[in-house]
Amino acid sequence: MNSSQRIAVQRYAAAYDALSQTAEQAAARARQLTTVAQALAPVEDLLNAPEIALLQKKQAVQAALNEEPQIASFVQVLLEAKRYTLLPAIVQQVQTLADLRQGIMRARVFSAQELTADQQTHTEQALSSRYGKTVKASFRTDKTLLGGLKIWCGTELIDGSLQGQLVRLQEELTK
Amino acid sequence: MAIRPEEITNIIKEKIEHFKPSADIHEAGTVIQVGDGIARVHGLERVKSSELVDFGNGIKGMAMNLEYDNVGCVLMGPDTQIKEGDVVKRTGEVISIPVGADVIGRVVDPLGRPLDGKGPLQADKNMPLDIVAPGIIDRQPVKQPLQTGIKAIDAMVPIGKGQRELIIGDRQTGKTAIAIDAIINQKNIPEKERCLCIYVAIGQKQSTVAQVVKTLTDFGAMDYTVVVSATASDPASLLYIAPYAGCAIGEYFMWQGKDVLIVYDDLSKHAQAYRQMSLLLRRPPGREAYPGDVFYLHSRLLERACKLSNENGGGSLTALPIIETQANDVSAYIPTNVISITDGQIYLETNLFLSGIKPAVNVGLSVSRVGGSAQRKTMRKVAGTLRIDLSQYQELAGFAQFGSELDKESQRQIARGQRMTELLKQNQYSPLTVGEEVLVLYAGTHGYLDEVTVPDVLTYEKQLLSFTHAQRPQVLQALNSSNELTAELEKDITGLLDEFKTVFKAGK
Repeated sequence: MNSSQRIAVQRYAAAYDALSQTAEQAAARARQLTTVAQALAPVEDLLNAPEIALLQKKQAVQAALNEEPQIASFVQVLLEAKRYTLLPAIVQQVQTLADLRQGIMRARVFSAQELTADQQTHTEQALSSRYGKTVKASFRTDKTLLGGLKIWCGTELIDGSLQGQLVRLQEELTK
Repeated sequence: MAIRPEEITNIIKEKIEHFKPSADIHEAGTVIQVGDGIARVHGLERVKSSELVDFGNGIKGMAMNLEYDNVGCVLMGPDTQIKEGDVVKRTGEVISIPVGADVIGRVVDPLGRPLDGKGPLQADKNMPLDIVAPGIIDRQPVKQPLQTGIKAIDAMVPIGKGQRELIIGDRQTGKTAIAIDAIINQKNIPEKERCLCIYVAIGQKQSTVAQVVKTLTDFGAMDYTVVVSATASDPASLLYIAPYAGCAIGEYFMWQGKDVLIVYDDLSKHAQAYRQMSLLLRRPPGREAYPGDVFYLHSRLLERACKLSNENGGGSLTALPIIETQANDVSAYIPTNVISITDGQIYLETNLFLSGIKPAVNVGLSVSRVGGSAQRKTMRKVAGTLRIDLSQYQELAGFAQFGSELDKESQRQIARGQRMTELLKQNQYSPLTVGEEVLVLYAGTHGYLDEVTVPDVLTYEKQLLSFTHAQRPQVLQALNSSNELTAELEKDITGLLDEFKTVFKAGK
């Protein structure tokens, strides 16, 4: 994705987010958009295909999303502007904006071994108290860390992994 | 001394013991694009302009462009180890260079890493590279002369301590030679008045820099010289910061009350490196494709040359920037910029160089806007009319070429001009002391050379100097130390010259 595409993503997401009045509404609508995007994923190629007429695509979307008129028109706007390829990124950004309204922070936690449920809640609590916001984390494993945790929270990187410590030890020794 | 194995083990053990395993918290971003020495980074939301960022693997970068959704960074090292998705950390620092008394006599790169294989440097402190120049209150006017040891320059384009004098000319006209001679000449000057010298090589061949370092070492000039080198094979970012690094080292000594001479060789390549970075960062190009702030690039650098007030220790930083022109075109963008920033220029010409006039200084176009106040009174008295005499001679020489009949006065002027031009020739690496310069020029301007044939002028000069050194060293001593050409001293000089006249005639 290039710079202008990233800017477009932020603008479409901001517009979609602005349609909701309250934080709860925004969260609900973000969830709806996520569901719709997942449902449309199998026909993504068709919706991006240039040989199919725009009108046909729009009619298909209208028929499929009859019960969600606002989402249907949002998708149609994207199709018209030839920005449908950006939908996954837009969904993510909409989610971020909804989180922001609710005071939720997303974190990505990497660990060498899978964490137990207990450890996961403990991590989330620790992060929440550090940032003063509700932190919702997604957990992934990364064998190269060897041990400990590596956490991306917003634009901050907390590196408590064994691998990171070894790298820092190496830097210290070669200084 | 041999290194004992247990010593290393102990050091490592100590380091391991002191190492605190803790979580490393940084504001960070990820690389989204890298190439041509530029990286675009996503994240780093609170990064500041010119902040140093860490790419890992010991490679640092500088945040140059803060854009809507990414940060454009220039890399201070090779970009081959950096890939998309790599983590970039903020450091919260601006770029700085370690400085200390230890740096004298060393060759370092613009980040202060030694390049001469003489071991690590002991630094007193870190100086940030981009410092705002001292203000008006902190300064005093330029009034002390800085001797370059080159007759043509000390007599006609005097340089003062704290001045910025541009050396400009085509390739192969002896620009670097003048700067190197000025550095070597500091050896002749008593330690109290001697300038510390900094030679900043920007975008030159490694071999050229090695040659310069060797020359300086051979003449014993490295004892008071620092060489900052960013050669042609270094990334553009290092070329860009090199003059600022040299200047930061100079300022460190200047604020200790010392006199510093800094040579930027050369600023054309510096501008080109900055142009490369700017274009790759997608900043809009202007005239000759240089970015809009290329004037500020040089003005903020050269503005840092100054003579500090006595309350600030009275130190000074004299800058000799060098600009290479193409086909004598001084009206190109960078030359005009730097000419307008500096306090004068020494203009070197290929034609003069090829006709054997070395240093090939064009007298008419070379000026020093600080001028007489930066000249010793003795020198001013001797060389006062030299410029006018020489330009009148050049005018007349044009007529004389047509073989037209000239009146006696004009013939005399031509004869004098020819001898003075000859007298101002000087070999490389042979700077003269002030006393020698004054004596030789006195002989020239007071007609002692009129009876000597033009080809013999340089022999006359050489013999006069060795005669004086052998027979009348006290005259040279007096000339070196005194600021005023007293009647008594003048009598000594005329006596000496009259005596030598007979000796020289007899020798012929």
